[in-house]
Parts: sequence; structure tokens; C-alpha cells
Amino acid sequence: RGLAAGPEMHFGFQTVTEEERREKINQVFESVAKKYDVMNDSMTLGIHRVWKDILMHKMNPSPGTLLLDVAGGTGDIAFRFINYVRSKQEHQLQRKLKHHQNLSWQEIFESYQKDKFNSLGDSQVVVCDINREMLKVGKQKAQHLGYSEGLSWVLGNAEELPFDNDKFDVYTIAFGIRNVTRIDLALQEAYRVLKPGGRFLCLEFSHVSNPLLSRLYDLYSFQVIPVLGEVIAGDWKSYQYLVESIRQFPPQEELKAMIEDAGFFKVDYENLNFGIVAIHSGFKL
Amino acid sequence: AAVRCQHYPPLRALQASAALRRASDEHKNEPWTSSSQQHFDSPPAGHQPEQEPQGPRPSYTGQGGQESEDYESEEQLQHRILTAALEFVPEHGWTAEAIAEGAKTLGLSVAAAGMFHSDGSELILHFVSECNTKLSKLLEKEQKLVQLGEAEKKPIDEFLRHAVEARLRMLIPYIEKWPQALSVLLLPRNIPSSLNLLTSMIDDIWYYAGDQSTDFNWYTRRAVLTGIYNTTELVMMQDSSPDFEDTWRFLENRVADAMAMSNTASQVQSTGEAVVQGLMGAAVTVSN
Repeated sequence: RGLAAGPEMHFGFQTVTEEERREKINQVFESVAKKYDVMNDSMTLGIHRVWKDILMHKMNPSPGTLLLDVAGGTGDIAFRFINYVRSKQEHQLQRKLKHHQNLSWQEIFESYQKDKFNSLGDSQVVVCDINREMLKVGKQKAQHLGYSEGLSWVLGNAEELPFDNDKFDVYTIAFGIRNVTRIDLALQEAYRVLKPGGRFLCLEFSHVSNPLLSRLYDLYSFQVIPVLGEVIAGDWKSYQYLVESIRQFPPQEELKAMIEDAGFFKVDYENLNFGIVAIHSGFKL
Repeated sequence: AAVRCQHYPPLRALQASAALRRASDEHKNEPWTSSSQQHFDSPPAGHQPEQEPQGPRPSYTGQGGQESEDYESEEQLQHRILTAALEFVPEHGWTAEAIAEGAKTLGLSVAAAGMFHSDGSELILHFVSECNTKLSKLLEKEQKLVQLGEAEKKPIDEFLRHAVEARLRMLIPYIEKWPQALSVLLLPRNIPSSLNLLTSMIDDIWYYAGDQSTDFNWYTRRAVLTGIYNTTELVMMQDSSPDFEDTWRFLENRVADAMAMSNTASQVQSTGEAVVQGLMGAAVTVSN
């Protein structure tokens, strides 16, 4: 299951060639880009925000972390990263000030001045996506929400990243790896661009093993989601693809094996919501 | 896709960290690393060669050419990271930040701290295990000196005081953050490991004190010494006297109490036996 050898691949439940698959997926995201966030909220009843928060918590980035968010399109992970690092910096600053009890007003003023210029503490996030429309929506969101520092947007393909080796501390791919045509190549690229000791994190829909829940989940997926897609975004087919692609994606253990094959160590996964979503983690050691 | 049926992760050489270590040979000088394997770790699966911390690396012949010379397991790498992290504890506490700084000094990304719990449990357990190992080595060395006749054998109360003091002194560089560590060690998740480390340390001390009992005394001795150790540790936490002299005096008193108590106990026992014998005699007399 999953990726077949030769030119035949799956696009949802259809069988297509590799070229066709790339083109179709490109079209899907061009069409959903503007309503992407709205649809996420309505399909998952807002729970996707919690999933992404959990991912950030698991990452627990220290100041000075360089993050590469692949298939990061509309910037959800990137913005959360910036918020997290900023609040950590503030905590550290407060702790430092508490230690030095007898500072003069001048010294306190200076320390605030100094740290204002790196409120992110040298942390940076690069958002990389293969689809121009998604990046456009992301940049607009950033402007609207006031994120500018430590953030950059790059057009690129997860199977062939436009970055040097050993560059990033953390690589994340949230709800994106499912749409990559050659997952093994994407994993190899992830390994390449990570620094030694760097961490790979993948947040993705996965397989529910509980039979009762699985039936309810299937019901919801196939009956409700495409309808929502038509009503809210005017696009039944894209959301049909989405639901089908979830079923075609390798389950937790298989993805874990693929990640290990790419060279990662200490590969593990955490199921969220009984396996509806899973976070896989690996280290380049 | 192939289905994997292995129980252990594949024993591959850690590529990235091996390359780093080749590049930074001068930095390797951790006397604890190779000897810390006994107490805390379960040995990693399979037959991994122990690495030498200094000097020329041995090459492994007959291994099929696959293994690089600096073959290191994940656990060994984690040990190195935790040992490196200890120097950042006074500043950052027993936290993921300290581990991240430690990883940085080894040339690894700060994200490597993600391998460990964010509450610093592994770091603290690692530290405790290392201290226990140091104590064992110290006691073994002293025992050798006694055996060779170069030193006097200490009386038992002095020996216990000396051992507990030596072990507690290892906490001094980290004393400010130690209360935090104690609370983490008491988390339900950590209790099995921390209890294990504590009991094996107490065992070691009694062993080197020459305890060879195989009866109920074995348990009482350990319980008593554990009590002495724990209470002294707590006293040390809020002791502000110069060089912790209040703590050592407290320790001296507790050990003296324990000695007195054991004398009392044996007195009570012999008195009890005498009373019982008297009663038996009286019973025999009456029955006649």
C-alpha cells in the first residue's frame, strides 16, 4: 500500500502517474489556498489548533533555534514558533532580573534596551512551500497579524530543498507529507538539511485502530467533510481528495520505519485523539 | 513496503555525531563516561564494543568493514550530552535549557535536548548515578589501602560518617538547585529509578563498612542508614554555616544515635532472653 513502484501512483483513491499526481495536488492547493484556514477550523472543529500547539510544546524550542517549516503554507506552525520563543525569552529575562537584586534604574533600562533588539533571541523560522498561492496567503496573514522579525518565506519542493546541508535545528512538516509524491526523498532531504543533533517532527493524519471510533471517523470523513468543502469553499473534489489521501497514507509504524530508513535515530510517535493524528519524531545523530 | 520485525532498533553507527567527534578529538576528556555504565544503564542490546575515551581509537577487525572506528550507541551519546549539561546546571537549573547548552558544547544542535524529558529527570538521575559511582570508587580505593596496611581501618561510626559526608559533598556545586532536583526525583514516574539508586548506594556503603550479615539485621541496617542519609541531606539544603559544619555535626549526632540504638536493641534482646529463661525455669519448678 502507499506508494507503488513504477509510474502508477495514487491520488486519493484514483491511480495516476507521478507527473499527473504532482499536477493534481498543485491544483488542489491552488484552489483551496484562500479558504484553507477556514476549512481547517470547520472540518476539525477547531481541534487542529490544539494539535499544532501540542506539536510546538513537544518541540520546546530554546532561544536561538533555527526552524525549517516545510509545506508550511499559511504559516500556522511558524507563528506559533515565534510566539513560543518570544514568551520563553521574556521568562528568561525576568529570571535574570530577579537574580540581580540590586540593579540601579540605569542598568534595568539598559537591559531592556539590549533585549528589545532580539526579542526572539536569534531564533528564526523559514517557511518553505511548493505552492505559490499558499505562500501568498501566508505572507498576507503574517502582515495582518504583525509577524515580521525572524520569518522568511521560500518557494521550494520538499523532495529537493533549496538549502545547504547541516543548516537547521528543527525540521517540521505539518499535514504536508501526505501530499509529497516521493516521501522517501523528502525524508532524505530532511536528514540532509538538519544539523547533527537536529530534530525531525512530522504532524500528520494517521490510522485509527479502535474499530468503533474508526467507523465513526470514516462516516464523518466521507459524509460530512466533502459537503463542508462544497458549502464553504465551493470545492467538493479537493476535499474528497483530502479524505481519500488520509486513507492512503502509511500508518504509524510504517512511517516510523521509513523515517528510520532515512537515517534518523530515536524515532518515535505519539498518537493524538486515538490515532486520528500522529506526531512522529526523529533525531539526526 | 517491507515490514520490519525487529525488537531492537538497528545497530547502525551514529553518523553525524561520529563525524563531530572525529573533528573535535581534543575535547574528549570525561573520566566518568566509560565507567558509568554499571549502575544506571541496562547494557544496550547486542554486543557493542566499549569505546576508549582517550588515546588512539582501537580499530575493530573482523566486523565486516561496516563499523566505523568511533562506534557509539545512542545511550553513550546521551550520557555524553548529560555529562556536558551538568556544568550549566548552576545557571539554568535541572532543565531542558541546561541539556540544550550541554548539547551545544558537543557541537550538536540545541534540538537534541528534545531526546530527554523537559523536566530534567534524566539529567538528575544521571547525576545521582555518577555520584554513586564516584563514591564506590572512593570507598574501594580506601579499602585497598586498608588491606595493604597503609591505612587504619576506621571504626564503624566514623566510616559511616565519612562515607555519607563524602557523598553529600558532591552536591555542593549544585546545592542551590538541589531542592528542585529532589522534588523531581519524587515524581511517581521517577520513584522506581531514584529509589533503586538510593538503595544500591546504601548497600555499597554497608558493603565497604564490612557488613556481612545475612539475617534480619541486613534490613534494619539499611533502613537506619537510609534515614540518616535522607535527613542529613534535607538539613544540608537549608544550612548556611561555613563549609556546612552544622550539617556534619547533625550527621555525627545521628550516627551516634544509631550506634546507641543498636546497643540498646541488643541489650533489650539479651534482657528479654534472660527474662524468658527465668520464666521457663519458674514454670518447670511449678510443674514439678
